[in-house]
Amino acid sequence: MVGRTLPLTAFAAVFVVAVVVLSATLVVPVGATDDVEPVPFEDTFTLGLTDETVRQTEARGFSIPRVEVYYSAYKYVVGFNSVGSYVAEQGRTGHEQRFGQPVAAFVSDYAGANASLTEDGYLTADGEVGFAPAEETVVVVDSRARLPSGPVAVPFSDRDAAAAFADAYGGEVVPWEAVTERVTARDPASASALRGAVENRSAWANQSVAATTDRERSTSIVVGEDAESLDAAVAAAPPNTTVELPPGTYRTDGLVVNKSLTIAGAGNATTIRGDGNGTVLTIAAPRTTLRDLRIDGVGDVGSRRSMLNTSEIEGLNWSKNVELAYGRGDAAVRLLDAERSLVEHVSVETPASGIVTLDSRGAVIRESAVAVSGGTQEGFMGLVAMYEPIVVERSRFAGGRDGIYTHRADGIVVRDNEFTDHRFGIHEMYTSDSLLRNNTARDSNAGIFLMTRPSGNLLVGNDVRDSRVGISTAGSRSYFASNVVADNGRGFNVYSSQSLYTHNTVVGNDVGLRAGDALATNLLTANDIVGNDQAATASIGPLRVWTVGDRGNYWGPVPGTDTDADGHYERAFRPTGSVDARVRTTPGAWTLARSPAVDLVRTVQETVPGLRATGVVDVAPRTTPARPETLETLREPGNTTEVAG
Amino acid sequence: MRARPVVAVASREVRTLLRNRALLAVAAVFAIVVVGLGGASMGSPGGYVSLTYDLLLPVELLVPVLAFAVAFQSIRGDDERGTLAILRTYSVSRLEYVFGVFVGRALPAFVVVVAALSAAGVVASLGAPEPSSFLATHSAGDTPLIYGRFVLFAGWYALATVAFVLAGSALARTDREALAAGVGVVVVVAFVADLALVALLTTGFVGDLIGVLVGLAPASAFRGLVLELAIRPAIATDPGVATAHPLVSVIGLAGWTVTALAVAAVAVWRPVER
Repeated sequence: MVGRTLPLTAFAAVFVVAVVVLSATLVVPVGATDDVEPVPFEDTFTLGLTDETVRQTEARGFSIPRVEVYYSAYKYVVGFNSVGSYVAEQGRTGHEQRFGQPVAAFVSDYAGANASLTEDGYLTADGEVGFAPAEETVVVVDSRARLPSGPVAVPFSDRDAAAAFADAYGGEVVPWEAVTERVTARDPASASALRGAVENRSAWANQSVAATTDRERSTSIVVGEDAESLDAAVAAAPPNTTVELPPGTYRTDGLVVNKSLTIAGAGNATTIRGDGNGTVLTIAAPRTTLRDLRIDGVGDVGSRRSMLNTSEIEGLNWSKNVELAYGRGDAAVRLLDAERSLVEHVSVETPASGIVTLDSRGAVIRESAVAVSGGTQEGFMGLVAMYEPIVVERSRFAGGRDGIYTHRADGIVVRDNEFTDHRFGIHEMYTSDSLLRNNTARDSNAGIFLMTRPSGNLLVGNDVRDSRVGISTAGSRSYFASNVVADNGRGFNVYSSQSLYTHNTVVGNDVGLRAGDALATNLLTANDIVGNDQAATASIGPLRVWTVGDRGNYWGPVPGTDTDADGHYERAFRPTGSVDARVRTTPGAWTLARSPAVDLVRTVQETVPGLRATGVVDVAPRTTPARPETLETLREPGNTTEVAG
Repeated sequence: MRARPVVAVASREVRTLLRNRALLAVAAVFAIVVVGLGGASMGSPGGYVSLTYDLLLPVELLVPVLAFAVAFQSIRGDDERGTLAILRTYSVSRLEYVFGVFVGRALPAFVVVVAALSAAGVVASLGAPEPSSFLATHSAGDTPLIYGRFVLFAGWYALATVAFVLAGSALARTDREALAAGVGVVVVVAFVADLALVALLTTGFVGDLIGVLVGLAPASAFRGLVLELAIRPAIATDPGVATAHPLVSVIGLAGWTVTALAVAAVAVWRPVER
């Protein structure tokens, strides 16, 4: 009898054990946050403030109030530089879908940290500022406290300390719950705000160009007739006149122009030639014009930094270090404090850098050409722009490391230029709010490369082909619209955050879009991604949902239907999925993709993206391209790009 | 009801099940599907919340199918082979017989469901890529607790559906009827009950009662328990209103089980004609 009931006994035992163990899960509360503690800020996924602001702040010993948030549907702790950036992210489109609710938050606690302001209103504190649970803090808003980026809210765990701070520096004490209403955040990356910014920058560039090109100056000296040499002519010419250079070659050795002159050649027949050492021409006066000539004989030192010994470098701050590395090398033309100066129709050959501009707000480089010899390692930068915005338009850059390298040139406008054969066509460092428009880049390591977590950059209508990387993005609140990336190793490196990608055409790349491991907070909609070996790849980090509201991107025909005829398939498309990734290339994958089993798996995969391992999903793929004409041009016969379907 | 006859009947049912290779194959396939859908096939297993989401719908549909395979032939089969007639000559009450069959069929079904789901949980947690080690992570609500609750509810759901199929099997008078009744139960549990609810809602008959009625449809009762007691606390989202009334859902699942067994007990054999 015992043997006969053995199987039943076994099942019954397993049943009882399972019921007891599993029922215990009903007793233990889920989502308890008592054990959650603040982590070192550098261990968080960080949002808010640019690297430039953070570095500036740290270099000058100021303090940044920070927020750490544990979200219910996101396994990484998210860190925010400034309360304002926390507020901005809470209000971003699609934020809750990605992160869920905050289950615990900690903020910098300035109580007992001797919080005070410098004369300029910058926030300082003693030592390391600790974190306190957010719900126990109050926040001083609208005080005079600020960071280099703007006003800043200051949290305190102690109401008296907050009140004392508000007494000393103005502002109002509000509870933590009120920060979403009381702390102003920068506008989210809405399409209209970003388009407005594009118009804004374009208008500024137009004004700058008009201001520099309208300059009429009478000729005071013709070199060869009124003066023996260019140097003598520049020394003798009265300010606001023109020095004319008839056809011929003019030798000079480090000429410095320190008054507002126009130096005009006769086109390519006029050459200014250096002695092969150092910079040929330094323009150190505002409103100077250099036009219609060639320059060669540039020295071959790209970077002066390597010439210094360690002790000399040690004393320099981070920014001067960069200036030394990239802004002090040999160049054909160097603009120094030369606001509103113009370089027009100038053609440069150089083994080091072509044009270097420092502190020259509103200077314009246009319709010029820079050829850097020596390849992507030996040569240096075509153009280096530092500290102030300039306009570079309708120019050609070839060879060298970077066509254009920027350092803290916030607001620079680079438009309608051609770049070939570089390391990077345009390379932006610590530069925000720039406009890069209608540039073409070919045969480079990367067409456009943004670095150092900037903010507000606008890349519109650029065209990068035949390069290892088309456009590599970084930073936040940026706009990537109507660009074409074709036949590259990778079309886009999507390394930015909180940015909008729309109407881009991504065709014929080995990898169309590469999702990086930054916080997956980008908005991608109405992009055309077709004919790439792999439409998208993703590194580790939660699932990215590349759909805005109910509007996704065009990935070519998708094995689904659009029964409500809204131009979007009802079926999600997973460009990183093993089946969907092959529907355009592997026979049979289409049939497999329509299987109920695959559908079953896919339909649920859009939920809780913040808790899913990796990948990309578009939950409402477009049925037709967003820019059919552009796509058609790229597909034309004779074009090497093969687009299936 | 006495324990001895129940144990005897249940023990016989378990041995019958274990002898049936086809049934073992069905259990294996169930396990494979669950583990496969649980992320292994997609190469992207995630956390426990996403696993619960991923498996909710498949389990809701596959558990009735498993119950059908396990139980549709049971009582009807005994009738067919004449066992029922013999049993009636022993001192086994109809309730003891039906409950014995239920225990013998439902326990293995429960164990298969729980084991398969546990395997899926283990596979998913082993297969998940390590998060970046130089960044701070936390589990948020994404703990095994969530998944444990889900597995528990799935087990209950298995018991209820087995009871349903048993009732169908008891009501059937021929093999063909038993087959049809079994399939019918699966369809009713998986689709018809919810469709009827939607229809009631559409016609305006129920209105605010939807929360209660949802607990009364077996599949919806199961789904409601998972959403309300497992997923909602994990995500910490506040959809404004409760996703379901857990108490009604529990009563619904238990009530259906008891009702179905009662129906089976009534229908298993006609009163002995005098």
